[in-house]
Amino acid sequence: MADLTVNGDRKDFKVVGKPNLPGKLSWAVATGVAKFGIDYVVPNMAEAKFMRSPHAHARIKSYNKEKAMAVPGVVDIVTYEDEDVKKFNRPGGLGGAPSPFITDTAHEENGIVGFIAVAENEDICDEALRQLDVEWEILPSVVDIKKGREADAPVIRPEDRGGVRNPFGGGGGGNPPKKGNVSFSNQNQGDVEKGFKEADYIIEYDLNMPTYASASPNPHGSVAWWFDDPYLGRDNIHIEGAVWHASGGKNAVGQLYGLPPEKTVQEGLFQGGKYCDWTLRSSQQITPFLAKRVGRPVRCVNERKDTFDFMVSQRFIHMKVGFKKDGTITAFDDFSIADGGTPGNSFFGTSGDQGYGPYIGTKCKNIRQRMDIVDSNRGLMPFSSQFCPFNWDSVTMAIHAIAEKLGKDPIDIARINLHGPDGQDDTRSVPSFDACIKAGKKMMNWKWHKNGAKKLPDGRLHGAGFRYQMCPRHAMGSDFHAVLELRNGVVHMPIQGPHAGVFSVEGDAMIAAEEIGLKYEDISIDYDPNAMFVSISGGADGLVATGWVMKQCAHKLRQQIFEAAIEEANKPAPMGFGGFGRKMPPNPLKGKKPEDLDLVDGIVVLKSDKSKGVPIKRLTSNVYATFAGHPPAPLWPAKYDLLNTLYCEVAVDPETGEVEVLRYGAAVDSGKVIRRTSLESQLDQVAYFSQGCQLLEDYFYDPKTGVRLNPNFIEYKKIGMLDVTDVNDPELIETRAGNGVYGANGISHSMSNTHLIICAIYNAIGKWVDPPATPDKVLKALGKA
Amino acid sequence: MKPFNHTNATSVAEIKTALADGKTTLIAGGTDLLGTLKDNILRTYPAAVINLKSVPGLDYIKEKGGVLHIGSATRLADIAADPAVQKKYTALAQAASRVATPHIREMGTIGGNIAQLHRCWYFRKPENRFDCKRKGGSTCFAMSGDNRYHSIFGAEGGCLAVHPSDTAPALIALNAKVVTDRRTIEAEKFFEVKRPGNTVLEPDEIITEIQVPEPPRGYKSAFIKFAFRKSIDFPIVNCAVMVGGKNPRICLNAVAPTPYRATKGEAVIAGKSARKLNKKLAEAAGEAAVAEVKSFPKAAQFKKQIAKTLVKRAILSAAA
Repeated sequence: MADLTVNGDRKDFKVVGKPNLPGKLSWAVATGVAKFGIDYVVPNMAEAKFMRSPHAHARIKSYNKEKAMAVPGVVDIVTYEDEDVKKFNRPGGLGGAPSPFITDTAHEENGIVGFIAVAENEDICDEALRQLDVEWEILPSVVDIKKGREADAPVIRPEDRGGVRNPFGGGGGGNPPKKGNVSFSNQNQGDVEKGFKEADYIIEYDLNMPTYASASPNPHGSVAWWFDDPYLGRDNIHIEGAVWHASGGKNAVGQLYGLPPEKTVQEGLFQGGKYCDWTLRSSQQITPFLAKRVGRPVRCVNERKDTFDFMVSQRFIHMKVGFKKDGTITAFDDFSIADGGTPGNSFFGTSGDQGYGPYIGTKCKNIRQRMDIVDSNRGLMPFSSQFCPFNWDSVTMAIHAIAEKLGKDPIDIARINLHGPDGQDDTRSVPSFDACIKAGKKMMNWKWHKNGAKKLPDGRLHGAGFRYQMCPRHAMGSDFHAVLELRNGVVHMPIQGPHAGVFSVEGDAMIAAEEIGLKYEDISIDYDPNAMFVSISGGADGLVATGWVMKQCAHKLRQQIFEAAIEEANKPAPMGFGGFGRKMPPNPLKGKKPEDLDLVDGIVVLKSDKSKGVPIKRLTSNVYATFAGHPPAPLWPAKYDLLNTLYCEVAVDPETGEVEVLRYGAAVDSGKVIRRTSLESQLDQVAYFSQGCQLLEDYFYDPKTGVRLNPNFIEYKKIGMLDVTDVNDPELIETRAGNGVYGANGISHSMSNTHLIICAIYNAIGKWVDPPATPDKVLKALGKA
Repeated sequence: MKPFNHTNATSVAEIKTALADGKTTLIAGGTDLLGTLKDNILRTYPAAVINLKSVPGLDYIKEKGGVLHIGSATRLADIAADPAVQKKYTALAQAASRVATPHIREMGTIGGNIAQLHRCWYFRKPENRFDCKRKGGSTCFAMSGDNRYHSIFGAEGGCLAVHPSDTAPALIALNAKVVTDRRTIEAEKFFEVKRPGNTVLEPDEIITEIQVPEPPRGYKSAFIKFAFRKSIDFPIVNCAVMVGGKNPRICLNAVAPTPYRATKGEAVIAGKSARKLNKKLAEAAGEAAVAEVKSFPKAAQFKKQIAKTLVKRAILSAAA
């Protein structure tokens, strides 16, 4: 579909789509003036630290609070046995139940457990926690989920989850009860066995996904204090550092303390880089509790090693795919073993894919998805990540494997299986897909070859990979509330923030300028922590949703400006003292109707003669417009109106196993480019994610103790800038077929991937290598290790 | 990080006196030391650190009498950028240029780079979570744990960790000497598995200078590093060679608890001028260099393939 609402099919863009328009807060970020959560320091502030478990699974047997309290500088020691903390629950992760902030049991190494030390500084907190002399009962742990699934594995959390239910439609009541550590989520469509019987070929392969770390450059933390106020009354919270407004923001913190939104003050604007991780951490939620306890401001900040939450949980998928001689897929059989993580783990890491995963994007209706979800002590995936759905590349792998089997180009295999815009019964091609392929093939000079068939002059093996994915839609949930105001001749856009790095606020301002008829710089972006409007609900796809709301709002304001301008023309205000005796100039808008007017570059002009008009700067009326809502068809669709394609070429060194990404190309249809600079940056960003996770990133655990061995930036190999192959000169296609503003849609989730490079390596060496394709794995695949 | 006292020393003698109390630690660039302190990885924590960089006269690069003299506090960035080092002592310049990141090379010193502690994620786990053999414990946790990046030439002193220095193999290949306040030690004999150290240095012994003899006529040197990342990474394997004559030298690092001199590889190319070093010879030298690789740990066997490739490529690079 497209944007069928007001001006959705606009052709003449003066502002939207322009590159390099300045970000309102770029200067603050670039110069370091910007204050992030952990930067806040206030007078008389105490520091707090949680105890972190040295064991993967352990229970506290005894401790010595008196000894810890005796450390000079200690203000307070909160223990899991304190009545007030027992009553104070933190909300569960997505799909998880609320749970106490601290208990006597640790479910992962370095997980929060037992105690919170409050002291004059962090070093004293550390010392106090040491002086607690905790004695541990070490419990059996599971960090190898395949072993944890076995019948004789120790059961680490016997409680039944009550059957896994996927809010996106997977799983449901038909699942068997939990057995040992394993919960089940099964979902079937069609007749898989019949599909295999119809197949000319059946292939089997494994898609194994390691755990990827959340990429939070700014460790989570907050500082909070309570205050009384003549207007707000008694007991208000001021908190900084818990700024992720899209998850409820200050409301999310206020609710924890039973307060209405207006009794929580939060002024900070800057949210450190995160991706689709909308969960506040304990260090961001606990500070008001501690501040109340000790009667002074308290700051609690995670360390670097505490910020290695999961962005993707580990999963092992065994795929069986049936297909005909022409490449048409007849059956998908997906058996997955997924890491259920620690208590509170998000369903996104497990059953979340099953309702909207990749298979329904094909014409094949015979789909079986079975998932064993294994409780573990590996860690927690708080919310979601850049990969949505996580298992999308099970189809990407299928089209490469089928292509190899049939000697056909994987793009042709993709095309033959992709259903039409209206769903699985639609046999038409998708115009967006065709446009992307045409541009992508030209950009890459795409010439597919069979596995292992091309050697580069330097002896390395050449491989190419391709993938496509639908665009995500994140305009879900409650409405967005846009507000615009003409005040003293200037259009103001009050907005709550936060600034999350994607400059979606500026995108909204561009849309407002476009619709009203102003220059971008004429919109005053007013950051206001009490404003209703939040610009973001998920990067680019959030912008196109909030942008749609802003477009509607701007259209209303424009009409009101016309009405106000005519009113002023018809009933001019008396001239003041300074103008006494002067003759007022004739107002060309006098006697006109709104439909006679246009607004061009900040001047209300006559449509009939655009040389005649009144600058809005001269208007004395203040007008105000609001619009609440969200674009139609907000959730991830079965319909495919916008698709994106990625391509890559790799060189594999057969002597060292090193993989170099030679080219990384994107031909993407975002529907309509809003802020070009942001779109291009997002393409680079997801290239960074995708290359990192396919080449280097993984977690390692000590098999005996379950201790995580690499939660630091030396051993956890986040890719470096020198290692990334940029998306140079991406093809940005505008079919205007999306549901967001002007037919736009987001692109970034659909660009993130786990197996594009893996498919190219397969094409180079003829073997599947699990991500990350580190040299040891590549050499092993080549029989050299 | 726990608090400690910090003193800017003005002389080597002052440092010696300070170190004698057994509670003080020497700091130069601090790029390794501060990491160990922040993570509290060792059994003991120093009460004080004393700064070598503030001692005048320990930061220099000069050639005299056919020998390159480098002050121990000379920064790696300066060594990498020095034209004389680049021209005559190529492997050292290349090695210095591949250490960590530009920022760390601007801070880290040559003395610190060769004296740094080893890499092992058990040894380095914060809060001394694994009190391993190198800390005085009784267990090498890597032996039965995840040892994919550990030694392929066996354990030393029961420890399977590897030495991570980039400049160490270059100095050994170039036949350098390490000068301390009390003796001169051949670079090859400088490294030793200790608890917790990596060198033969006594607790109060201070490196003052590195001496590198000019390579004999006809010899050329090269260094290659293989790491997962192009910057800010320790080597999976690195290799330095000095080739082109009767006594070639090949040294690998990150494959053993101390830098590994690959004498069997050297024998293959001994007596060959740089001009005669072809791909076949280099390959044979690479094979010989890894002849003594152990079959344990299995997970680290991929390093054998990389090591022999690096030997080959380093020889060909030097000879080119």
